[in-house]
Amino acid sequence: MGKERRLIGAIGLILLFLCLLPLMASDYHVSVFLDLMMWIALTESWIILSGYTGYISLGHSAFFGLGAYLMAITWTHIPYGLGVILAGLLSTAFAFAIGFPFLRVRGPYFVILTLGLTEFTKFLFINLEIKLGGTVGRILMMTPGLHTLYYSILVVTAIATITAYFVKNSRFGTGLFSIKEDEDAANAMGINTSLYKWLAFGISASFPGMVGAILALRRSYIDPYTVFSPIVSFQVIVMAFVGGLEDVEGAVVGAVILTLISEALWARYPYTYMIILGIVMIFIVKFMPLGLVFPIKRRILMRRKGKDR
Amino acid sequence: MSLLEGFQVSKNFGGLKALYDVDFAVEQGEIVGLIGANGAGKTTLFNVISGVYGPSSGHIRFKGENITRLKPHQICQKGLGRTFQVVKPFLNMTVLRNVSVGKLFGRDRLRHRKDAERDAQQILEFVGLSEKADIPAKELTLAHRKRLEIARALATNPELLLLDEVLAGLTPTETDEAMVLIREIRESLGVTVLMVEHVMKAVIGVSGRIFVLHYGEKIAEGTPQEIAENPTVIEAYLGERIEL
Amino acid sequence: MDLTRVLQIIFTGLIIGGIYALIAVGLNLIYGTMRLLNIAHGELIMVGAYVTYWLYMLYGVSPLLSMVLVVGLSAIIGLLVCFFIFLPIIRSSKSITVLESNSLLVFFGLSFIFTNVASLLWTADIRGYSYMTRVIHIAGVPLMYNRLLALGVALFVCLACYFLLQKTMLGKAIRALIQDREASQLVGINANFIYLISFCAAFGMAGLAGCLLSMFYEITPFMGLPYTIIAFIVIVLGGLGNILGSLLGGFLLGLLETIGVSVTSPGLRPILSYSVFILIILIRPKGIFGRGVY
Repeated sequence: MGKERRLIGAIGLILLFLCLLPLMASDYHVSVFLDLMMWIALTESWIILSGYTGYISLGHSAFFGLGAYLMAITWTHIPYGLGVILAGLLSTAFAFAIGFPFLRVRGPYFVILTLGLTEFTKFLFINLEIKLGGTVGRILMMTPGLHTLYYSILVVTAIATITAYFVKNSRFGTGLFSIKEDEDAANAMGINTSLYKWLAFGISASFPGMVGAILALRRSYIDPYTVFSPIVSFQVIVMAFVGGLEDVEGAVVGAVILTLISEALWARYPYTYMIILGIVMIFIVKFMPLGLVFPIKRRILMRRKGKDR
Repeated sequence: MSLLEGFQVSKNFGGLKALYDVDFAVEQGEIVGLIGANGAGKTTLFNVISGVYGPSSGHIRFKGENITRLKPHQICQKGLGRTFQVVKPFLNMTVLRNVSVGKLFGRDRLRHRKDAERDAQQILEFVGLSEKADIPAKELTLAHRKRLEIARALATNPELLLLDEVLAGLTPTETDEAMVLIREIRESLGVTVLMVEHVMKAVIGVSGRIFVLHYGEKIAEGTPQEIAENPTVIEAYLGERIEL
Repeated sequence: MDLTRVLQIIFTGLIIGGIYALIAVGLNLIYGTMRLLNIAHGELIMVGAYVTYWLYMLYGVSPLLSMVLVVGLSAIIGLLVCFFIFLPIIRSSKSITVLESNSLLVFFGLSFIFTNVASLLWTADIRGYSYMTRVIHIAGVPLMYNRLLALGVALFVCLACYFLLQKTMLGKAIRALIQDREASQLVGINANFIYLISFCAAFGMAGLAGCLLSMFYEITPFMGLPYTIIAFIVIVLGGLGNILGSLLGGFLLGLLETIGVSVTSPGLRPILSYSVFILIILIRPKGIFGRGVY
């Protein structure tokens, strides 16, 4: 019991710190934490489907872009908060709409299918933009201030992390993990795998939608090439793998590590950063497919068991 | 009314007739054996019964209800459990958690992990895997994995259990132990058993009734004695008379 | 629509189809022998294109000579990638699905490395050069020599590949491995050697395709992915593991695409190809992709 109380205490402190940050720190630091939380939200939501069921998705970018575009279209027509929520709902609806046929595809074919989805969506929006407006790219004026966006992301990230945690420890989560271990056996055990995958897909998709909406306001400019870029999906995957596909803490760890690297490199050497990402991806898949967090947790558990004896 | 019945079940894969007009019935409380050469259609029949795919024609009734078009998880909910020929444990989960999955999602549909694990412990005791409860399934030997497979299927609280070659790859001692377990499943739990097997000593020793598939067709049905003496069966499968 | 226009469409379709066939055959070789989906295949095209470009622009090396150099270079890259990255992964993988998914991610990582190294070295600016642009008229249709060259080379290499597969011992071994990995190892075929050969050949052909393309298309670090997608469509439609199918399928798809674009608009090309891509994965023919136990 003491352990749980300490954990909740630690989380509370972190949340308190994050809430107070804008009052204490410069805009630059607030910006950094905003970015960090954005990645945490994206990664936590990604593992709900891809980490827990093993259906690796490159489609997170598609929902991200969708959310960004919804915000771009509805901005100044509806309240900001409503726009974010609608972006999340739209993404989930889209995920639910394509979910059943998409999730019947397994393994690496699902991966490239979702890549195809993201690219298709990107070119669809490019063509639509050209048809409708002539230009590809939208500017958003009079966007909310940095602090507003910061607190919005904080809320979304908190919800994403809590969702990932509760799903993992729920009966639903056990079903998802069973699907990952052996989908056919899971079916034979009474798990409605189609339904479970579909639900995980929909839940997972809502967060990139909301994050995309907030980010559209932050950048004040969006275009299909950036918001539907596979770089978003790829970074999320690397963060998840680095941290550990099934670990809620892992997503945070992965996001922190990669944000640190990108802070050092992105501004001046963006290509170098991407190259490092690629190398990290290959390295992790080959040598540490379980990520960083799980082996560490296991070692701590072993040591504790040893002490009890 | 029989517990499980199949009417003119046929299954084609492209041009290949895997099953052809197979009629069968399993009564409550029986242990029925299903034998035949490799490729005779035994696992195909299991897959059709358990909903992995539907038959090309014919239908299946379970407790009087037509289950032909149901999906595997629905059939599990109806009370029909199965094991797989190549065992499929949840490798990275502990033995206990493997079995508790059956408790959570099978007919009992328990809500909470604690309850599921408590009930799962009982099943583990029944199959003799209690000491292995906290071990990851990937560290089990084949014989223990087979028992885990059975335990997991039992956890779904079935009325009928389909066993697909659970004795393959076992040593004679392990085979004897498994045979005892199968009998106990019927005696203590009241679960009806339909088992595919190649190990003749076991099928004959445990089954009350046997039916034989050959190239997708049922060629014989009867008591172990009758089957062992049946000339068609001997020619097609057994090779020679078996002394009982 | 007059005859000249029709013939022009057909020729253009065949020319681009030849490139597609070249790329698809390579992709299918890797898939057929190793069951790996090389999503970085297009990046080799890009490398081939850039190498040809720089050799021509900096040293005046004719693309005809570059072809040989590029094939060699790409084959070496293939050798290194296979030996250092994929052979160890195949050795240590516990299950096939894990192997396939993880390999895909590795290829994806490679793809990122390639495109960004190219961007770093050569910037993201669009490049191009002119070579063999003299025009010849065939049946009233004006065609540039460079495109005819591309068609000729692509056709030659694909047919050579096909005959090698059909007539030589090595080719038979490759076909055996595609059909049944375990059985072919039982009869003494060295799987690892075949894997290396497949990678080298596939990467070499991709590099060659890039060299050919560089003569008349623009070059950017990101030019690769669309070709990967198309190659993938070709190999699914032509049959996974079916080399002849990829050959014919490449040409057919080139024709279809050119016809399609001529009746609609070029801007729709990516949407069309990605729609087809998504659809064929969703409606995949049974038994080709199935990963179930049965």
